Amino acid sequence: MSNPFIEIRNVSKTFGGGMFRGPGVAAVEGVSLAVPRGQTLGIVGESGSGKSTLLRIVLGLTRPSAGQVLIGGQDIASLRGTALRDFRRRVQPVFQNPASSFNPRQTIRAILRAPLEVHGIGTGRERDARIDALLGHVGLGPEFAERLPHQLSGGQKQRVAIARAIILDPQVVLADEPTSALDVSVQAQVLRLFARIQAELGLTTLFVSHNLAVIRQVSHQVAVMQHGRLVEFGPAEQVFRAPREDYTRRLIAAVPDPRHAFARKEALA
Amino acid sequence: MGREINWPRWRLALIGGVIVLTVLLVAIFAPQVAPYGPLDLDVAQMLSPPTAAHPLGTDELGRDVLSRAIFATRVSMQVAFTAALLGLVVGTVIGVLAAYFGGWLDLVLMRFMEVLFSFPAILLAVVLMAALGTSVFNAMLAIGIIFIPGFSRLARAATQAVMRQQYVEAAQAIGMGHTRIIAREVLPNIIAPLLVEAAAAFSYAILLESMLSFLGLGAQPPDPSWGNMISTGRGFMAQAPWISVVPGCAIFLTVLGFNLVGDGLRDAFDPHLRD
Repeated sequence: MSNPFIEIRNVSKTFGGGMFRGPGVAAVEGVSLAVPRGQTLGIVGESGSGKSTLLRIVLGLTRPSAGQVLIGGQDIASLRGTALRDFRRRVQPVFQNPASSFNPRQTIRAILRAPLEVHGIGTGRERDARIDALLGHVGLGPEFAERLPHQLSGGQKQRVAIARAIILDPQVVLADEPTSALDVSVQAQVLRLFARIQAELGLTTLFVSHNLAVIRQVSHQVAVMQHGRLVEFGPAEQVFRAPREDYTRRLIAAVPDPRHAFARKEALA
Repeated sequence: MGREINWPRWRLALIGGVIVLTVLLVAIFAPQVAPYGPLDLDVAQMLSPPTAAHPLGTDELGRDVLSRAIFATRVSMQVAFTAALLGLVVGTVIGVLAAYFGGWLDLVLMRFMEVLFSFPAILLAVVLMAALGTSVFNAMLAIGIIFIPGFSRLARAATQAVMRQQYVEAAQAIGMGHTRIIAREVLPNIIAPLLVEAAAAFSYAILLESMLSFLGLGAQPPDPSWGNMISTGRGFMAQAPWISVVPGCAIFLTVLGFNLVGDGLRDAFDPHLRD
């Protein structure tokens, strides 16, 4: 814990606003978090709590209004040129909506080849071999490479999304509700795959979800957000067993059947 | 994809396609198809009604109306094609840049497009022609400029829709450059509505070119164009109505054909109508 790999320091993001337009809307306010290398931080909160915005900030796609994000000790706002390219290779996202994560006019092979092309990795044949191997690794056959996204089910798309996220051998994967659009049975499979790959590659992960059962299953630490603020932050078991904040307690109480959720966790372990 | 084509639904588009194809072939092979040259005079047969020698009659100088209408197809197609292409390309570039980069660039480009849009098309064309001088080339330019704001708005709206898709974020997250994102992720996903718009622009361009020629601003006599043929024929409506009626019908049929094809394209690209 003394040397966190991802460090979020007092980050805020305000949308809109300006000299003549009033104060704007604060999506994230003064959030500080730290994740040690190889661990998963689960971020929970209801819709609009700022968790997805926080993820986009860590991904470097949204500039924070205030505060810093450090990955491996580097302030990501200061990255330019080669350092920025390197950052893009090391930090990858998995998005929420499998329907819009892929360009509908490209085959899965073209989609998976793009990161390798952008970073100039391998020859054409090496890229194809890597794509085929990776598809196998996420539980899809090489025949999926020639398909178009709409020919895949939601679960299969999220497997491809995971493959795209790890094809560049990243150190950090940021997952934004990667299973919330899936059926419960498929969710379990994709989560298991995610957990396996996270462990295999030693990924440091931020995992955003509104589903407490999912968060509990994948996270070492848990952060609870409400209205853009950090409400509670601590080791997963502590947050779930002995929540300090009233809001966390209400969130946990709102899970329809906690025992059922825990039973599923055990079944998957 | 191996399915039976629903012919009744595509019947109109098919008719349009046949018309368009015929018009294009006539334009390309005008010298082979036309019985006379567009400028050949038959002074013994001035203002002749349709006869075996002149199937659609002759004009006030004894020129064959059918042949002139056939050669005029070339001017119309050239102008319409170039103008629609100019509008499509420039409008798409402006719209995509405005939506992609947003901010002040979007603001400046779109306000400029609104200024262009606020002029009535014909007035703008006449003003541009007055400024540029009358020629077929300038007619293409003027009509193309008229199309730019429409295409740019369409391209901007479509690009904004694509920019909200997560695959654009995914492309940014792997470090893909702007040019590549636009070429790979944006353009292929906005091109369908733009092509439909281009078909509509094409038929509107035919009309505009005819109007400009009618006003004496397009193709200059003695070169034939549908518009200037109608214009000269106007003085002979009582004695020789065919001089105006023939190019009028040509305009009507051609525009109808391109509109039918445009509607067919729109239906084909519209996912809600897919059976």
